[in-house]
Amino acid sequence: MSTQLKYKDEESDGEISGRSAEARVITVAVAGNPNSGKSTLINAIAGTRLHVGNWAGVTVEKKEALFDFGGRKIRLVDLPGTYSLSPYSQEEIVARDYLVHERPDLIINVVDATNLERNLYLTVQIMELGIPVVMALNIYDEAQEKGYRIDGKAMEEMLGIAVVPTSATRKTGLDQLLDTALRVADAPKQRVPKKLNYGEDIEVACDYLAKSFRTSYPALTDSYPQRWLLLKLMEQDSHVMRELDLDDLDFLDQALHHLRKAHGEDIESIMADARYSLASGLTREVLHKPELRPTEITEKIDKIVLNRFLGIPIFMAAMWLLFKLTFDLSAPFGAWLGSMTDGPFKRWASALLTPLGAPDWTVSLVNDGVIAGVGSVIVFVPVIFAMMFFITFLEGSGYMARAAFVMDRTMHAIGLHGKSFIPMLLGFGCNVPGIYATRTLENPKDKVLTALLVPLMSCGARLPVYVVFVSAFFPNNSSTVIWSLYVMGILLAVLMGLIFKKTLFRGEAPMFIMELPPYRMPSLHSLCVHTWEKGKHFLYKAGTYIFAVSILVWFLLNLPWGVEHKRDSYLGQAGAVVAPVFQPMGFGTWEAASSLISGVIAKEIVVGTMGEIYAPKKEEQAEVPTLQEDLKEIGVSFGAACSKAVKTLLYLPVPEEKEKDRSALKQALLGVFTPLSSYAFMVFVLLYMPCVVAIAAMRQEFGTWKWAVVGLGYQTALAWCAALIVYQGGRVLGLGG
Amino acid sequence: MNLARLKPGQKGTITSIGSIGPLKRRLMDMGVLVGEEVKVLKVAPMGDPIEVSIKSYNLSLRKKEAEGIAVEVAG
Repeated sequence: MSTQLKYKDEESDGEISGRSAEARVITVAVAGNPNSGKSTLINAIAGTRLHVGNWAGVTVEKKEALFDFGGRKIRLVDLPGTYSLSPYSQEEIVARDYLVHERPDLIINVVDATNLERNLYLTVQIMELGIPVVMALNIYDEAQEKGYRIDGKAMEEMLGIAVVPTSATRKTGLDQLLDTALRVADAPKQRVPKKLNYGEDIEVACDYLAKSFRTSYPALTDSYPQRWLLLKLMEQDSHVMRELDLDDLDFLDQALHHLRKAHGEDIESIMADARYSLASGLTREVLHKPELRPTEITEKIDKIVLNRFLGIPIFMAAMWLLFKLTFDLSAPFGAWLGSMTDGPFKRWASALLTPLGAPDWTVSLVNDGVIAGVGSVIVFVPVIFAMMFFITFLEGSGYMARAAFVMDRTMHAIGLHGKSFIPMLLGFGCNVPGIYATRTLENPKDKVLTALLVPLMSCGARLPVYVVFVSAFFPNNSSTVIWSLYVMGILLAVLMGLIFKKTLFRGEAPMFIMELPPYRMPSLHSLCVHTWEKGKHFLYKAGTYIFAVSILVWFLLNLPWGVEHKRDSYLGQAGAVVAPVFQPMGFGTWEAASSLISGVIAKEIVVGTMGEIYAPKKEEQAEVPTLQEDLKEIGVSFGAACSKAVKTLLYLPVPEEKEKDRSALKQALLGVFTPLSSYAFMVFVLLYMPCVVAIAAMRQEFGTWKWAVVGLGYQTALAWCAALIVYQGGRVLGLGG
Repeated sequence: MNLARLKPGQKGTITSIGSIGPLKRRLMDMGVLVGEEVKVLKVAPMGDPIEVSIKSYNLSLRKKEAEGIAVEVAG
């Protein structure tokens, strides 16, 4: 980001007309408070043309869209939702750095018409930047229903910016908004936001500062919007001070001398007061509320939802529903997609490749590497989509904030935030959506810590491993043993949370200060757009890593080509190399080690690999279905998936899937493991490094490998220690060796 | 008296904000300013955080964060 960008208004002559205007791409930044309906507005305007990414170097989401409107090209940049432009949160720094250094042609400021004063506080700050502003007076319909009368004309006059009433959920006012935006962008000189008066003392100090600053640092005045810079200097904004790296601050002290004497030392408070006075003054002028205020629906709902006795049961019920909807609804479709890539796609690839004279290893690479890789990505699509949909619903409806309110006390005890509960809960279904769900947390510290602990929640993929071992070694108390593993995961998450709080995340705990927005029904369109964006993003980004690892594992498993015995494959060799590491835990065999290595793809693969090693199946020459049969089967099984999803939701009986016969594997395991070493092995499977999909999710969410590597490292170390303690401790206690 | 000690239903006027740094700025950005009227609406089921009404919207904060906000209880 260059700080040397010239201040656009000073360069151009204002009015831009004719051909050049038509060809120009107009960059419009969209800024506003959280809960102001900004995302819904963006989704309604740009829909599926939105591209989701991250702002460089931070975990803050960036949405952008390029589209035509009225024969013109508009680039819409969604800034993170913020209440202010202070230098303390990532969101705010991202938003202001963009506005100050990238200088969009225009800012659309989305304002919640039902909560005018606090929203105008941000508007006042945006107007300091000297960029043309158009205000979207959003949620206007709701304000009207409440009997609010807002004088838009008066607001336009007082602020010097255009005001357009909109309702993003009902999609009204959006065309007018864009029309106005184009008009203002074409004639920026005619629509300059007014310089608001911050009170005499501040203005005098500001003028004084302007003079001395211009003489001492003439170059800087060109690369920043001037009034904004002066105000930030007065506030001694840490971010700006660092960026400017000023050596002489005497002139600043002189400028502030009088102000300090009259109003006290804390200039930041004085400025916040001045801005809020403007916002409340303006609100008083333009907003007329009805005298009698009926009890609002939000109050009524909160009486029940946040009730001392009902609050927690309701929260638990909501979480149970979230979990059930996310996983039960998506599971049949995930399985359907999996069976499709596993069966027909592989058969079709073979049918295409074999006649072309492709060697066996190519067919295997395509089938077991490429197609299996694609398969391992797309089976996650339904669950990611479902999770995103329901999480977005929870956020948009306003319940997410309540959930955080109810759970914060508990989660805060281990250094987490109330909102951390949901990612952790989803982790029990699958760690991947759990990690993605951390995006509901604002503070990066909260976000990363939560994501690091999510993989300790025993996910659904670990269950098949437990089931095989437990049924072989603990047939009489199988559920107790499995339950103990889940509890161990939770307890270790608590322990690690406390350890991380004291080490990696030392220092001030992130604050909680959070708005409890009014309950609102999110628009279905916006929910779908949002879900689609996220799902697509997952496919592109995480998909690439998962695919790459899947190919790598194929090489490990199958090379050198034509190995007779699994022991001689690279995987077997690697297993033999690492096996001694597992000696003290009672399972130092190449077979166990190889299974654990292949388990990084997905933990249930541990069982699959063990099955292949210990109890290899005879090649069965099954009847190969024809193309028509395959196609028919795909259709039929999709129908079956739909009906299964519905039935599970309605608690209708679903025919049991045929369990794979694992008796041969169990017999083999009984010969190699003891009950104690099998338990140590399960503990290791529970805790060791997250699967590649979870790692890819962390890489994608945090934009750096750092946290993925930290997670991988600490978990594997933890797994090793825990399994060791279990095994050696068990031996000391005489539980067998 | 500080905000954390107010009972649900009690109102007060903010007389000073003792918090410092980012916490203070964040509070001010959310409209928690000296002279502002604040009303405690609810305490979370586990006793923390609390919900208050300020500037005609609802805000939740932990008791620890509310402790630094001095209030004068109205009548």
